[in-house]
Amino acid sequence: MIVIQNAIDAISLGAVYALAALGIGLIFSIMRLINFAHGELIMVGGFTLYALAGQPYLVMGLAAILVAAILALGLERVAFRPLRKASPATLLISSFAVSYLLQHVMLMIFGSRPMGVDFLPQLGDAVELGPLRVPELQLAAIVVTVISMTGLALFFRRSRIGVEMRAAAEDFTMARLLGVRANRVIAAAFVISGVLASMVSLYLVAQTGTVSYKMGVNMVLIAFVASVIGGMGSLVGAALGGFLVGIVSVSLQAYLPVDLRPYRDAFVFLAFIAFLLWRPQGLMTRRADMERV
Amino acid sequence: MSRDWQSAALLLAIMITVALLATLAPPAMQRTVTEAFVKLVVVIGLYIFVGNSGVFSFGHVGFMAIGGYVSAILTILPAKKQVALDLPPFLETLQLPGLAAMAIAMLVAAIIALLVAAPLMRLRGIALPMATFALLVIVHVVALNWQSVTGGRQALVGLPRFTGLWTAVGGAALALVVATIYQQTRHGLALRCSRESEVAAAATGIDVGRERLIAFVLSAVVVAMGGVLFAHFLGTMTANTFFLDLTFVTLTMLVVGDMRSLLGACAGVALVSVVSELFRSLERGIDMGGHVIEAPPGLQEIALAVILLVILIMRPHGLVGDWQLAWPKKKAKEGS
Amino acid sequence: MLSVKDLHVSYGNIVALRGVSLELAKGEIVAVIGPNGAGKSTLLLTIAGVVRAKHGEVRLGESSILGIAPEVLASHGIALVPEGRHIFGSLTVAENIALGATTRRDRQAIAADVERALDMFPILRERYRQRAGKLSGGEQQMLAIARALLARPKLLLLDEPSLGLAPLVVRQVYEAIFELKRQGITILVVEQSVHRAVAAADRTYVVNSGQVAISGRSADLHGTAAFDAAYFGAASGAGER
Repeated sequence: MIVIQNAIDAISLGAVYALAALGIGLIFSIMRLINFAHGELIMVGGFTLYALAGQPYLVMGLAAILVAAILALGLERVAFRPLRKASPATLLISSFAVSYLLQHVMLMIFGSRPMGVDFLPQLGDAVELGPLRVPELQLAAIVVTVISMTGLALFFRRSRIGVEMRAAAEDFTMARLLGVRANRVIAAAFVISGVLASMVSLYLVAQTGTVSYKMGVNMVLIAFVASVIGGMGSLVGAALGGFLVGIVSVSLQAYLPVDLRPYRDAFVFLAFIAFLLWRPQGLMTRRADMERV
Repeated sequence: MSRDWQSAALLLAIMITVALLATLAPPAMQRTVTEAFVKLVVVIGLYIFVGNSGVFSFGHVGFMAIGGYVSAILTILPAKKQVALDLPPFLETLQLPGLAAMAIAMLVAAIIALLVAAPLMRLRGIALPMATFALLVIVHVVALNWQSVTGGRQALVGLPRFTGLWTAVGGAALALVVATIYQQTRHGLALRCSRESEVAAAATGIDVGRERLIAFVLSAVVVAMGGVLFAHFLGTMTANTFFLDLTFVTLTMLVVGDMRSLLGACAGVALVSVVSELFRSLERGIDMGGHVIEAPPGLQEIALAVILLVILIMRPHGLVGDWQLAWPKKKAKEGS
Repeated sequence: MLSVKDLHVSYGNIVALRGVSLELAKGEIVAVIGPNGAGKSTLLLTIAGVVRAKHGEVRLGESSILGIAPEVLASHGIALVPEGRHIFGSLTVAENIALGATTRRDRQAIAADVERALDMFPILRERYRQRAGKLSGGEQQMLAIARALLARPKLLLLDEPSLGLAPLVVRQVYEAIFELKRQGITILVVEQSVHRAVAAADRTYVVNSGQVAISGRSADLHGTAAFDAAYFGAASGAGER
């Protein structure tokens, strides 16, 4: 019984991590950019909810999605487009800088203390599934993730720009030679990643009831780990990685001896290192492809 | 004198000049300059690995923390240690002079770096930077939670504050010399070969993994020294100091100057320190003929990030780029 | 149709092209051959907009196309099949071919062109729904050409189409190239393999060390000592073949 409860915990947490990882993985697969600022897309989504507190939840949610998408687009245009030809080191530091910048802007405006937001508190109620009591939020997380991933899969297979993005992710230059417009594909990728980030923020705010300027940081770290585990550049891998980290995280929380529980994150990252030593290219990438990274 | 040593000599001269000027400045400014020199030690340490190998490391701040905590444990008054921590008796009663504590801290860092990095150095691509990042997180989590040794979330206080201006300059000078020597050894040369092309280097018989390990351990030792100096500058150790923000600032200092050269590292530290200080003064408020101009708090960090982005956009390799510092020479003697 | 004048291209400090000039008339097949590292690929990449030139001129018809982005050049009718084929392995054959028509909007004509491409390369019809990564080298080359054709290019640039392919397959590829010429497409072929290219082309340029060493009608050049010398470089003595 506890096992099933834990399993649902794990899968729902994994679902949220998968969404976060997808946002990172998408940008990376097309631009080879590791977007540290993804955490701030989440954060801004959260603060949008805060700013619209009291409005109908649907309005709050849609606004968060819209704002995150627009911010993502803006970041691409202002910060990342001029850097398209830069070295990986420069790209990394730049995205770090953007992240740092956004965090401190919010800090300046809103201060450092976490602030309360009422968003879908009814999801805290539990649903009775036989002998189990599952918080609605967890079910919602799983459902939303599944719908999103299905939507994305359809988008990538059926829509013209989706196919162009897949091509660009595999071989950007060749795609351009065929006429795929670099700017459009990249902009689309950022918009999608913004939407994914905002969905993560909806979950976080619904779950914790608070927003703070550092709320995206933990999530983005996990998202990276998940992406690397799945294989940078593979979207399926990112999702898989997210679920895997969720499962490991919850399992450690449940099964570590009590005194060691505060060190849970250390164990998660230790497991991550062990994974890297075993399969550094990630789950979905073949070793030969790794050199491209 | 080889170009590397010329460059180092000039940098040392500049460092000493700055320090001398600082002695004429008010104490607050001296503290700022001291802190900049301490950060310089860390950034030079970072350069030893990142600059020579071309591989990013996010874990160096973890070694700062290790250096700082070890030194703290060895130098805080036994009475205070008894209250704040829960150490084995021989550590509790031990109190060492600063230099000895620093040496031991550096040794501990070296050992940990060796043990931890040995299996990691064969990782390629993005796996290695991510592994160093995992190291940072692990050190951070341990520091936050190992109450009995690090004080956990509470700040560990009572460190003797022996890092004055000239101590910091001495540390920076030492770091500079070590980095320059390493750069000229065949290990440094071999590593820089692999920076340009791993495949070519391996084909020439260079054991890339081993060279990276050597650089990583040396780098960890220097960074740990920086951590010790930092800890004894602040007088306290707080686990949360040694995490992402400090990682960002030190990496920025390295990259914005130019991560491929010592000159770049120094230039980066100078630039970031100057910008930070400028905006810190603005935040305090500048008196311009009776009118006080005050900037909102947090502007310093924002300005730093913006300036960094602008510099990277304009000069993707960093401020220094391919420029080199050497004695003025007849053009004919310069290589291509 | 295409005119290149005094093209200089460098990769950092390495000079790849030092003043290359060539001309293509509409409907011609022109071969550019030369030893490894001569700069032939660089030439094609520069024309296609992937590599920046230091200076020189490249004109398509009347207009200069230097410095224009590759995706824009694609809509002007330039198609490049790069060395190594560069098909999208994770996409299906169908998706690869469809991507060739990225710049076009005329659905029915595109569908008709797909049919024609599949007629030209029947093996692709067989493998239509398969992942392109599973195709053999020769099949991938055909896919790359089919994909290029979907753009209805005016100018087709082929970089070493015979590389790594069995002689029988190379023959099929060159038959396709001839067919394309018959359809009126202007073609610039870069090859290391001398025979095929020179035999197929109307005119040939020999490029060595970033410069055009010799050029002329293939019939005139083929087999002459001057030709061999130009290919192998003056220093290497009387033409070995």
